[in-house]
Amino acid sequence: MEPILSVQNLNKYYGDQVGCKNMNMTLYPGEVVGVVGESGSGKTTFINSISGNLNPDSGKILINTNNEIINFLEISESLKRLLIRTELAFVHQNPRDGLRLDVSAGGNISERLMSIGQRNYGNIRQTIFKWLDKVEIDKSRVDDFPRTFSGGMLQRLQIAKNLVTSPKIIFMDEPTGGLDVSVQAKILDLLRKLVRELNLSVVIVSHDLAVIRLLADKIIVMKNGEAVETGLCDQVLDDPQHSYTQLLVSSVLQV
Amino acid sequence: MIELNKITKKFTLHNQGKTKISVFKNLNLKINPGEIVALTGPSGVGKSSILKMIYGNYVFQSGEIKINNHNIDHKYPRNIIELRKNTIGYVSQFLRVIPRVPTIEIVMEPLLEINSDQDEVREKAEKTLIKLNIDKNLWNLSPLTFSGGEQQRVNVARGLIRNYPCLLLDEPTASLDSVNKDIVLNLINEKKDKGSSIIGIFHDEYSRKYLKAREIDITKISDAK
Repeated sequence: MEPILSVQNLNKYYGDQVGCKNMNMTLYPGEVVGVVGESGSGKTTFINSISGNLNPDSGKILINTNNEIINFLEISESLKRLLIRTELAFVHQNPRDGLRLDVSAGGNISERLMSIGQRNYGNIRQTIFKWLDKVEIDKSRVDDFPRTFSGGMLQRLQIAKNLVTSPKIIFMDEPTGGLDVSVQAKILDLLRKLVRELNLSVVIVSHDLAVIRLLADKIIVMKNGEAVETGLCDQVLDDPQHSYTQLLVSSVLQV
Repeated sequence: MIELNKITKKFTLHNQGKTKISVFKNLNLKINPGEIVALTGPSGVGKSSILKMIYGNYVFQSGEIKINNHNIDHKYPRNIIELRKNTIGYVSQFLRVIPRVPTIEIVMEPLLEINSDQDEVREKAEKTLIKLNIDKNLWNLSPLTFSGGEQQRVNVARGLIRNYPCLLLDEPTASLDSVNKDIVLNLINEKKDKGSSIIGIFHDEYSRKYLKAREIDITKISDAK
């Protein structure tokens, strides 16, 4: 099997400041890669750089789309935008950043569908209902504005909005960050089911090692903009080799 | 078949004065298909470490581990993920699950990796739960509020619902009453008869004798003092 996404020697600087440097990652279909590290370690810079939100300074981002491998950093802006609407998806920590709050829930879900040319109202409406059901939002809320939704519902709506065009690669930046723990459990369960059912490939950033342990197959531990340890998720968490990872793992409070 | 050849394993605790703890210097072990090996010895001697190395949770410094002729090589996490999906089953000592997920779904999960027919998988999970004496009223509840023995049987159900060629069992009968212990042991024997290579830690002699396990005293081969 070929990787669906391969990042090679990626660098991003803010002036003299390192954002992230010499980053490498391979992501296979159906695989979840977790990126962990303390605040300021470069996690968000990394995920933004590989998802089209930021322009990295150098490196390669190879995406396997329809058995053709393209370098995301060398394609035209229009092709890039098309990929971002179809094959890629980005779930923000704050769902308000990823949703249009003055457009109905249904309207939010249909946006990506319409941007790739779907026009049949009946079909679109049906797809919307299918996705509301998948993320466990009651159908009766379809015409309500997101601002009337709770935090957990907003996050589920954002996930539906992003997954409706069956993207192959999902980027998530702290998707359960601002949610209370009971809602967080629901979202984690939903994400795991979707990953398995739809064979999604996911890059997920979180500072919460418990979240990463439950979701990720592989892990990248970042510090000062660099990857200090990578590998199989539970191996890195159970038997960390780098001193920083050992510190990180031993700093988690036991409940 | 599980093979460990010339394994060395040590821990280096970077943040605690770079303390080095050597666990194994030359560990050799082979578990044939249809065989059960029981690791014995006091706690801290390295029994769980052996299971964790085989499952890929722990790295080792030198030597090789082969599962049905596939190497456990941490340079290729993808291969270990594949092995876990198809070849190695692991019943851990404690249940680790997402809160609020119903028991039945937790048991179904390993089977859904290879079979997408929800109804068929559900039926099989129900059968396994019935076998393990888990009351039907509990199936739609999260196991996190269950008693220790019930949690352990859910964990066993999840680990034994498939027929893995290799099985790792970390005290699967530790908190069970004698009736349920026999049920679990019979289930393990079924897997042995189907040709699994099984290695486990069983703290009571009764279980080891019941399974006719080949006992290996780790104290003699461990470097951990």
